[in-house]
Amino acid sequence: MTTDELVENMNADLFVGDFKAASKSDALDSLTEAVVTGSDVNDRELVLGMLTNREQLGSTALEQGVAFPHGRSLAVKQLTILFARSKDGVDFESEDGKPTHLFFLILAPPQDTGNYYLQALGKIAELVRKDNVRQALMEVEDFDSMITLLKEAS
Amino acid sequence: MSGPNQAQLLVALQDLEEMIREAEDPGQRARLESLGFPVTGIEELRKALQALESKISPAMTTRYRRLRTRTGRAIVPVVNGACTGCFNNTPAVFTSSVNRGKVINCENCGRMLYWP
Repeated sequence: MTTDELVENMNADLFVGDFKAASKSDALDSLTEAVVTGSDVNDRELVLGMLTNREQLGSTALEQGVAFPHGRSLAVKQLTILFARSKDGVDFESEDGKPTHLFFLILAPPQDTGNYYLQALGKIAELVRKDNVRQALMEVEDFDSMITLLKEAS
Repeated sequence: MSGPNQAQLLVALQDLEEMIREAEDPGQRARLESLGFPVTGIEELRKALQALESKISPAMTTRYRRLRTRTGRAIVPVVNGACTGCFNNTPAVFTSSVNRGKVINCENCGRMLYWP
């Protein structure tokens, strides 16, 4: 997946620049609330349940303060990507034990047989592996700036 | 606040079964691990599956299992008024609030329907 294809699946209603959560479960709850508010995903309970189950399989928080809660559900109609940034950080059970600041929530329908959501996940993971990109994501002021940043980083 | 209805529980059950199936698939697992995501909690998911199944009536579970065996996906979303299992249109009355939360089967293929 190219960066252009990736950003086609992102939109300004799914940009949360001042995300706050007290714990991992609180973060999952608030991320779900944000995606229901900003997209055509309606079934909050199903999505939250799926994300909670997914975390039981293994934490989706990587090192360097980035997490990728993700999964498929029948409650999701299309690939949906939400970005949320926490200035304070959240204990999301990351491998290095450090707080998570950048969240990319990726949801897909079960009929995503081409594993499109894993391609999106892989592309974002590749981009945020760069220190300067993560640092810049902590500072971007709005959705458009984030998209410009991701395109320039590729 | 009321809890999830039977249709939501069945969707959650199928979502979870698919998550376990993917986690057990060597290719999918390798892909997740290569991205840095550990796949260590399959047993936890199996326990969650049992807990979820205990909330669904045995008769409904039996119907679900039969459909899983016969059609692959027992429950499918309705998109633009059509069952996505067989692409037959569903009667408008199915979307009535009276039916919300009820488990309704496609009149053509028999799969359970869900309105996302």
